[in-house]
Amino acid sequence: MSDPALVFEGVSYAYAEAPREAVSDIAFSIGEGEWVGLTGPTNSGKSTLCLLAIGLAPHFFGGRLKGRVVAFGRDSRSVSVIERSSEVGLLFQNPFTQVSGARERVDEEVAFGPECHGVQRVEIDARVAEAMEVVGISHLAARHPFDLSGGQLQRLALAGLLAMRPKLLLLDEPTSQLDPAGTAAIFEVLARLHTRGTTIVMVEHRLETLCELCPRVIAMASGRVIADGTPADVFNRELVQQRVGMPVYTRIARDAHVSSPLPVTLADATRSFGRPVA
Amino acid sequence: MRFAYPAGAEVYPEPGLSVAIGDGVTALVGENGAGKTTLTKLLIGLLRPRAGNVSVAGVDVAKMTVAAMARIVGYSFQNPDDQLFERTVKAEVSFGPRVLKRRLEDIERGVAWAIRECGLEGKEEVHPHDLGLSERKWVAIASALAGEPQVVVLDEPTLGQDYPARRRLRALVEELAEQQRTVLVVTHDMDFVGESCPTTVVLSHGTVRYAGSTAGAFADRAMVEEAGIEPPHVTRLARSLGLPECVSEADFRTAWKR
Repeated sequence: MSDPALVFEGVSYAYAEAPREAVSDIAFSIGEGEWVGLTGPTNSGKSTLCLLAIGLAPHFFGGRLKGRVVAFGRDSRSVSVIERSSEVGLLFQNPFTQVSGARERVDEEVAFGPECHGVQRVEIDARVAEAMEVVGISHLAARHPFDLSGGQLQRLALAGLLAMRPKLLLLDEPTSQLDPAGTAAIFEVLARLHTRGTTIVMVEHRLETLCELCPRVIAMASGRVIADGTPADVFNRELVQQRVGMPVYTRIARDAHVSSPLPVTLADATRSFGRPVA
Repeated sequence: MRFAYPAGAEVYPEPGLSVAIGDGVTALVGENGAGKTTLTKLLIGLLRPRAGNVSVAGVDVAKMTVAAMARIVGYSFQNPDDQLFERTVKAEVSFGPRVLKRRLEDIERGVAWAIRECGLEGKEEVHPHDLGLSERKWVAIASALAGEPQVVVLDEPTLGQDYPARRRLRALVEELAEQQRTVLVVTHDMDFVGESCPTTVVLSHGTVRYAGSTAGAFADRAMVEEAGIEPPHVTRLARSLGLPECVSEADFRTAWKR
């Protein structure tokens, strides 16, 4: 049995000088090849979990960490962020944060990560070409990163991560800047990576999207995990409905008193409403 | 109206863009690069048209400075970090009305109202950059409201917002409409459009593909598909069940009861 991709063991974390913990008593294990959606209201600790998983918390942010964050068998305390970034990639919420600012062309920006890791030039060129192709920005190779639109920048940030060939991808709202076509394209990319065995943890506020894509959902509120299971399990819980909300389909089914369990996807909802009202 | 960025192609091709946006809440939708944000920047004079003209609330934008336009139009940027620079939320929200030299009592009233509407009470003295992205977004929206402008432009207000915040946003735009203000919402969030925007303008490659009722927009399936937008989730469910067309949850409840 190989090690799980990501394990949180009794993790609590407070940022430096913060009076309260950002996350408390977090425990879960994500196996290699899983696709997990992470959701919860603003400030519930989702982004902090991502920072802990890659090790930026506490390595960069300082603060107080209790418990253990283990990726592919290695404790975040004993691995530098640089080292971990060859296995774990994090797409930041704001793509502007991700871009190095040190490169003047899109293709050079995509190459930045592998260059920092001393990957051979020929290998870098191949990875860059593939990563740009996969996210659909090959035609922008010669542009300056800061001349791109929000949606293009988000794809560039993802390409930069893919060029690192991470085994675990953490995505903090990967399509927030994209239109439906761009969103669909990114999710296709993720589906392909998932098929190839990449583990994906994705923060997503759009609960309908979350339930369509992720076989497993972790719901957070006030820095704690309040539910962890299939989308249908998670969004049928009253606590989750109150604290996190629920997909449109679930809400209208509940309001229409459709028999439970309440549907969480379009296909489920079509079936539920097809049955007589309870 | 015609416009091109330096060394760029025309954003609004021949014969140029013509559109009228009325009172109440209007959604401006279309795929990335359709010309939505450019249009809103032309409204406030931040960009100037190459040909044609833009008028807002009866005022010819060409004759006004950006500062003068700021008295008429409150603008909240897509990325709040492009907009925020003060050290406290209160300083940030009051910045516009202060530099526009509104009367002190007007500033106080407008700022207090904006802070209340945006759920920022108790956070007045916090540094904006100590807030999360979605709260910074609310600071940007409050800043757009604080001068009590006749026209409010919100660029992607629901981005990164959780469900309670989206409900607050719905209540906000409804209230602005009741106060007879004009609200233009640039968004990819079609559930928000269906619930909160009675009127929709669809842009595609710099041309107006549709301007009219939101229900009418989504009923035109061919246009919706060509313009690269998706109908709201309730619309999809109603179709899948063979119910009459719906764009909001209230529509759905009515259709289902029948």
